[in-house]
Amino acid sequence: MATFGDTLFLLAAFAVLLVLVGIFAWNPVTKIMAERQDKIDSDLDYADNKRQEAQKMADQREAELKSSKEDAVNIVNTAKENGEKQRATLVEQAQSEVATLKANANKDIEQQRADALAAAKNDVADLSLAIAEKLIAKELDPSTQQNLIDQYINELGDANGSH
Amino acid sequence: MNESYPIVSFMGLRFNLANDLAILVSCVIIFFLVFWLARKPTIRPNGRQNALEYLIDFTNGIVKSAMPGKEGKRFGLFAFTMFLFVFVNNQLGLFFQVDVGGKTWFRSATADPIITMSLAMVVLVLSHFFGVVFNGFKGYMKEYVSPVSFLLPINLIENITNFVTLALRLYGNIYAGEVLLLLIRELAFSGHGLLGGVSFIGGFAVEVIWQGFSVFIGTIQAYIFVTLSTVYISEKVISD
Repeated sequence: MATFGDTLFLLAAFAVLLVLVGIFAWNPVTKIMAERQDKIDSDLDYADNKRQEAQKMADQREAELKSSKEDAVNIVNTAKENGEKQRATLVEQAQSEVATLKANANKDIEQQRADALAAAKNDVADLSLAIAEKLIAKELDPSTQQNLIDQYINELGDANGSH
Repeated sequence: MNESYPIVSFMGLRFNLANDLAILVSCVIIFFLVFWLARKPTIRPNGRQNALEYLIDFTNGIVKSAMPGKEGKRFGLFAFTMFLFVFVNNQLGLFFQVDVGGKTWFRSATADPIITMSLAMVVLVLSHFFGVVFNGFKGYMKEYVSPVSFLLPINLIENITNFVTLALRLYGNIYAGEVLLLLIRELAFSGHGLLGGVSFIGGFAVEVIWQGFSVFIGTIQAYIFVTLSTVYISEKVISD
């Protein structure tokens, strides 16, 4: 004969077990498992975001690096151009200065040569006279020999004037 | 284990105390096991919690394979408890069988068809109940005449065969296992003198082997019982 009391006992025991397991094991542990799932999801999302941000920053840095390289090249080029210009102006200045100096020097030289010639003419006349006086002082009588002296001096003057 | 049980009558109902004791003991074992495993759960699991989470994932996997959608979430706890209950009840009688005064006081509760039928009835009632809950009464009734109306008798019979096979498969496996366990024990103590020594040693070895095999069978049967339960529930719950 069947023991239907066992069925009732089983149903009651199983129902109580179901409730107790649910309260003390299933709910807390599945809650923790869901929380862990959420945490993993959010961590993965967070990591994704961080990775994208890092990528963006790296791109930005790269672009900045490239632009700074271009800047540097520009700066060097400008400096080169400026230097070139400056060099050209300096050379030009120097050349013009040199030309001026040269012209001045030439002028000075010409002046000095003319002065020296004039001085030498007077000196030669005086010197010649002195020599002539010393050579012929005793015999010459200025009045008788005036013709000769004049002729002599004239010859000297011609010789000097031909220069 | 013999076929004589301590039976008491109470308010016109007959109670087999061997069944009730086994059910009570298994419930206590299961409760304290999971209570101990689930103490202080943390986001970073420790060893005990890992074991429990593995079990939960295992039964959730069974449910999910039958009901992949949101319906499956309702049956996680049921499948978990049912698996543990059937599993522990299958194993109990392998290790403890108590006979007192010619009556069996303790053995696996699932070795009694009334218990397995009660468990199958729980599954059956739940499947029909949630069939109505999820599909409405009209949708539930429509399942009996689908895909065509002349299959109504077959659909009706299917419900009965599901119930009977679910119950008797479990009962047959566990009962046969425990009967054989007892027969091997009797074989071990059957001889006298030198022959008795030989039969004791041989019987002992076979008993150990058969116990190991029965643990395996009990585990497989618990798995099959829960799997088929969820399949039967999903047939009612998920409308095509």
